Amino acid sequence: MFFNGKKIVVAGASGGIGGAICEQLADEGAIVILLGRHEDKLHAQLGKLKGEGHRCFVCDLSQIETIESCVGDIISECGPIDGLVHSAGNGDVRPLKMSKYPFMLNIMNVNFFSYVEMVRCFSKRGAFNDGMSIVGVSSVAAQYGVQSRTAYSASKGAMDSAMMTMAKELGTKGIRVNNVAPGGTHTSMIDDLEYANLSEESRATAKRQYLGICEPSDIANAVLFLLSDKARKVTGIVLNVDGGKMSC
Amino acid sequence: MTQEEKIAMLEDMLEKDGGSLKPEMELGSIEEYDSMAKLSLIVMMDDEFGKKLTGEQISEFKTVRDILDFMG
Repeated sequence: MFFNGKKIVVAGASGGIGGAICEQLADEGAIVILLGRHEDKLHAQLGKLKGEGHRCFVCDLSQIETIESCVGDIISECGPIDGLVHSAGNGDVRPLKMSKYPFMLNIMNVNFFSYVEMVRCFSKRGAFNDGMSIVGVSSVAAQYGVQSRTAYSASKGAMDSAMMTMAKELGTKGIRVNNVAPGGTHTSMIDDLEYANLSEESRATAKRQYLGICEPSDIANAVLFLLSDKARKVTGIVLNVDGGKMSC
Repeated sequence: MTQEEKIAMLEDMLEKDGGSLKPEMELGSIEEYDSMAKLSLIVMMDDEFGKKLTGEQISEFKTVRDILDFMG
């Protein structure tokens, strides 16, 4: 098993993609540390994991000032970690005219500022073991224009840019940092998007993904690769998992 | 909120001149009532009226009055 005994934090553990990541990590022997807003959903996800020793920690990533304390709790109770996955995200969409500052700020807090804060806290001395790998789940929405996604696309683009800088800065500590950028993926975030059914553009862009819609397990596969020693010389990249969407 | 205020809100959302919308107007005749406008309508119903509006419900709106009635 690739992650036997390794401690991996998964933020956004009760989401579609986050849940798949947790399950695959547990299958590969990891000790999964699940992080999310809703305790009941975290425990429901915990119940699906093979193996023992997994832990749940409640943390509202929209409250950036609480993250450092949460990280401190994790290190105190679990010790230094071997991997970090940021899979938490707010996918709300709005036309530009409706994207006022409070809405923009909430999206940026959950999707971007929490990502940087978690990397900052977990990359401090004593918080990580040698060879730690960090993977953020961004989106191909950062790579092309999509109507009604100003906030979402900006937050994911910020993730990708910051990741490259953090990879270089943390390379001296032996820490690798990469992002996985999913294309259309079958999760509740998509199912809840009533809007997708309204937008001619959404239907058109869906056709670009000529290998079809991704499943959460497809994204998890890529995340686990980047977390593993098989990617020991991979850092500072965005790995698209998009069914061909960005190739045409 | 008065009906006039609700209509003014819709005119602002659709970027139409004040007084251009009438309750009896058919939505299909309003050029600006496209998919992005429908998305804006969903957001507005949530933000301003605390109501969840689905795509299915939107497809059943035929006139401006249908939207005004949903606002409550």
